[in-house]
Amino acid sequence: MLILFQILFTLFTLYALSSVVARKRSGELGPRGLVFWVSFWVVATVFVWYPEATNRVAQAFGIGRGADFVLYISLVVIFFVLFRLHVKIESMSRDVTKVVRDKALDTALSSRTK
Amino acid sequence: MVIVVIPAFNEAATIGGVVHAVRRVCNLCVVVDDGSKDDTADIARGAGAAVLSHEINRGQGAAIETGFVYARTLSPTAVVTFDADGQFDATDIPRAVEYMEQTQSDIVFGTRFSTSARAVPVLKRFFLMPLAKAIDRLFGAPELSDVHNGFRVLGPKALACIRITQDRMAHASEIPRLAHQHGLRIGQFPVTVHYTEFGQGVSGGVRIVRDLIVGLFVRK
Repeated sequence: MLILFQILFTLFTLYALSSVVARKRSGELGPRGLVFWVSFWVVATVFVWYPEATNRVAQAFGIGRGADFVLYISLVVIFFVLFRLHVKIESMSRDVTKVVRDKALDTALSSRTK
Repeated sequence: MVIVVIPAFNEAATIGGVVHAVRRVCNLCVVVDDGSKDDTADIARGAGAAVLSHEINRGQGAAIETGFVYARTLSPTAVVTFDADGQFDATDIPRAVEYMEQTQSDIVFGTRFSTSARAVPVLKRFFLMPLAKAIDRLFGAPELSDVHNGFRVLGPKALACIRITQDRMAHASEIPRLAHQHGLRIGQFPVTVHYTEFGQGVSGGVRIVRDLIVGLFVRK
């Protein structure tokens, strides 16, 4: 059963890595993003194939079980990604404001000069 | 030339009276209609204001900055920010502008504590406002007696260097921070506030803190 999950996860990792490379090529992803996501998927795959490795890493951090360690790391990563999304949305929202403002000013200034 | 900038969102009930009162004490009244669904823009225009219209709602900070950009094209001696809901008294405008000139301040913040402290709801006065002050200090704002008062007077120097990036209510923390950062001379002037509603509340305060934190990470 575990072998089937390991194979499916590896296939998904290959798909994820290919999309990471495609996003890098299209310029959507910077060099830091590339390193982060490639490292993330490679480490995740290693942990899926060698689950006992998580125990050793967990113990180095003072956490008893490898599964708990993975859970904590996942939570940190999810919060980080959520925060980045929040910042991205705010940045886009400010761009929208600029467009709305420019239009309001164009209309007001052109009617002032008439 | 004194310009009064009034951000307005769905303020059809009060905007007409506010514009009439404000026009008596300034050279130009600019209403920034922030995507209102009611007749705010038409009523303001009818009352004699110059109206700038945001097609969609972008927030009070965004509306004020739009008014500032418009005001910069006219090189005024003072720009006043004023609320559309009728909570301020227009007769405070010339007195505050005069105060700015007399004290040679670059920016003057209205404060409600010299004249009407007892009118401020208890929860707001003893819990929300001290908390807001502490958070603003944390984000680099100077010590002000009334942190989120919408009545401000900006002189030419302040108008030139204060560019609001916070679209929603966090602009009220951003303006004093920018004034402090640019080394502007800051004054405070007592203004009358007629409470029409309960203001920000706790959830509004949480949103402001969130906006201030996220704003630190948005590329300028």
